Amino acid sequence: MAATTGSGVKVPRNFRLLEELEEGQKGVGDGTVSWGLEDDEDMTLTRWTGMIIGPPRTIYENRIYSLKIECGPKYPEGPLFVRFVTKINMNGVNSSNGVVDPRAISVLAKWQNSYSIKVVLQEVRRLMMSKENMKLPQPPEGQCYSN
Amino acid sequence: MAENGESSGPPRPSRGPAAAQGPASAPAEPKIIKVTVKTPKEKEEFAVPENSSVQQFKEAISKRFKSQTDQLVLIFAGKILKDQDTLIQHGIHDGLTVHLVIKSQNRPQGQSAQPSNAAGTNTTSASTPRSNSTSISTNSNPFGLGSLGGLAGLSSLGLSSTNFSELQNQMQQQLLSSPEMMIQIMENPFVQSMLSNPDLMRQLIMANPQMQQLIQRNPEISHLLNNPDIMRQTLEIARNPAMMQEMMRNQDLALSNLESIPGGYNALRRMYTDIQEPMLNAAQEQFGGNPFASVGSSSTSGEGTQPSRTENRDPLPNPWAPPPATQSSATTSTTTSSGSGSGSSSSSATGSTVAAANYVASIFSTPGMQSLLQQITENPQLIQNMLSAPYMRSMMQSLSQNPDLAAQMMLNSPVFTANPQLQEQMRPQLPAFLQQMQNPDTLSAMSNPRAMQALMQIQQGLQTLATEAPGLIPSFTPGVGVGVLGTAIGPVGPVTPIGPIGPIVPFTPIGPIGPIGPTGPAGPGSTGSGGPPGPTVSSSTPSETTSPTSESGPNQQFIQQMVQALAGASPPQLPNPEVRFQQQLEQLNAMGFLNREANLQALIATGGDINAAIERLLGSQPS
Repeated sequence: MAATTGSGVKVPRNFRLLEELEEGQKGVGDGTVSWGLEDDEDMTLTRWTGMIIGPPRTIYENRIYSLKIECGPKYPEGPLFVRFVTKINMNGVNSSNGVVDPRAISVLAKWQNSYSIKVVLQEVRRLMMSKENMKLPQPPEGQCYSN
Repeated sequence: MAENGESSGPPRPSRGPAAAQGPASAPAEPKIIKVTVKTPKEKEEFAVPENSSVQQFKEAISKRFKSQTDQLVLIFAGKILKDQDTLIQHGIHDGLTVHLVIKSQNRPQGQSAQPSNAAGTNTTSASTPRSNSTSISTNSNPFGLGSLGGLAGLSSLGLSSTNFSELQNQMQQQLLSSPEMMIQIMENPFVQSMLSNPDLMRQLIMANPQMQQLIQRNPEISHLLNNPDIMRQTLEIARNPAMMQEMMRNQDLALSNLESIPGGYNALRRMYTDIQEPMLNAAQEQFGGNPFASVGSSSTSGEGTQPSRTENRDPLPNPWAPPPATQSSATTSTTTSSGSGSGSSSSSATGSTVAAANYVASIFSTPGMQSLLQQITENPQLIQNMLSAPYMRSMMQSLSQNPDLAAQMMLNSPVFTANPQLQEQMRPQLPAFLQQMQNPDTLSAMSNPRAMQALMQIQQGLQTLATEAPGLIPSFTPGVGVGVLGTAIGPVGPVTPIGPIGPIVPFTPIGPIGPIGPTGPAGPGSTGSGGPPGPTVSSSTPSETTSPTSESGPNQQFIQQMVQALAGASPPQLPNPEVRFQQQLEQLNAMGFLNREANLQALIATGGDINAAIERLLGSQPS
């Protein structure tokens, strides 16, 4: 796809997002993350929902974390914004509203236009498996941020 | 792709018409779609009717994955599929992948109704609230403990007993061992709040059996206690050391003014005599005749109590209670404060010393002095402690600078008035005495318990001679000295009985007594060797009783440390410690403590008290 060559060809945003939508629906990847449009009627393809399945052998195991992703107008040139809906205790995640600190996630801090929602979700999941996060005590399952 | 994009974009029921038009496989039935179900470990393909619900989908899945439907969590496009939803609702079409998470049994799931899951879930969820409640109860416990903070706090102070009297003793011991602690206690707002309640203080005082005895003997004390103004004032002063000093200074000034009035001083003196004598007698049992208790006039007997202690709050004997006595005692206290404060002008110090001298002299005239003398005899350390006090030194300095003042002090003493001969003897000796007092060697000699004891022995010998062969005794000096000593030691000594008033009691009396005290031992010395200055203050006739006083080491130490603490409050005007403690250092050296620096430090810390310094050097605390 032209969008995936990354050789300087700038793919229009909507194309990119539609592509990602398809990937989300097809379950591309290892099945540990999922994403899709929050509102199917959203023509701007801005608000997305994501799902991360807690990696095994961590405190997050067997938990399903719901996230909200926002792809701004500059996407994919500009990074996207991620915030957890399900409460989580993790470095880089604001404990009061679940917003993922862009500076804490390397892919968000150093965003490249080849990055995608999948990449971000997979990166967040990878961080769950990091030593510093994998044992953090978690709030009871099923709690969501009030925002 | 575009088609895919369109079809996978906004979930228009694009397939709807197609499905409705010609479902080849399912006549009049929704199209079967193939949905891939993907778990982190497996992937299975399911063919389900398009319009099936998630619940139905899960049932199909549960068979394949051998799990309960309640354990299944389906995720599509970042959303969890709820049982009542349909696949179409989520836009799940043919060929799309749904993610599956199988919840293990030990996961607390509110949804799982399966027995196994429920058991695991209930256990988990039950444990969670339990832990929460535990934490909550833990949080509430500190508050509960906080309410007991009073007693618990006391135990934290090292007092294991909540028994009032035991607490009192323990507090006293605590204070004895740590002057800093006393200061801290004084500054403790809790202590201060207690002190500010006159009724409470009065009750505490009344509760003290010794105080009760005192009150029986001396109804004036009870008057004092019952006077709320006096109590309040006393408490105020006890509570606020700074205020105490200030009051002392004010009283000192007032007293000095009073002295300037012709005959006024005598009036004061008489008042002291009237009040202090009964007070002294009353306090004898407890304090061994603390003359300064009487000087403190009003609730001097209360000196036994330590208001600064959190528990036993007997108010300070209000030295300022009866106005005239107040002034006198205030002067006494002022002397102390001015000495210790060191900020006071020499005039105030002078006035205070004059007043102090007067008070001391008047005190000596009471029989209580005798017992004090006895105390002093037995506890020369007290004297030496007092001698070490900076305020004493300041007083002595002021005295030396004003020989006339000293002379006036002596002359105005009722004792001297009763004995003009003594006055004549004293007068010429005054300047020499004062200078000698300033001499560090003298101070060292006075600080030396053995020297003091020797002086006491000389005095006693002279007294015996006086009784046996009056003609042979040149003067009453020895008696004076003894009396002075007794006075000096007296108030300091009997701290134990009432308790932790120690810090306050010595506070007051030490001052005026101090400068006079050293003169006592100097007396016999002067007559004998001429080294120590002659006694400048007359004392009562040396008919001292040999009533043994129950001076305890801790009291001495306590007083000594209190003195040091008080002294420490003011910029010390001490001569070089090394010079001061020259003799003690030599003694320590002779005993085998070769570390001169350590010896010096210990001596400085104990104010020249060799025994205490030795204990310090040995690493043990005075009890």
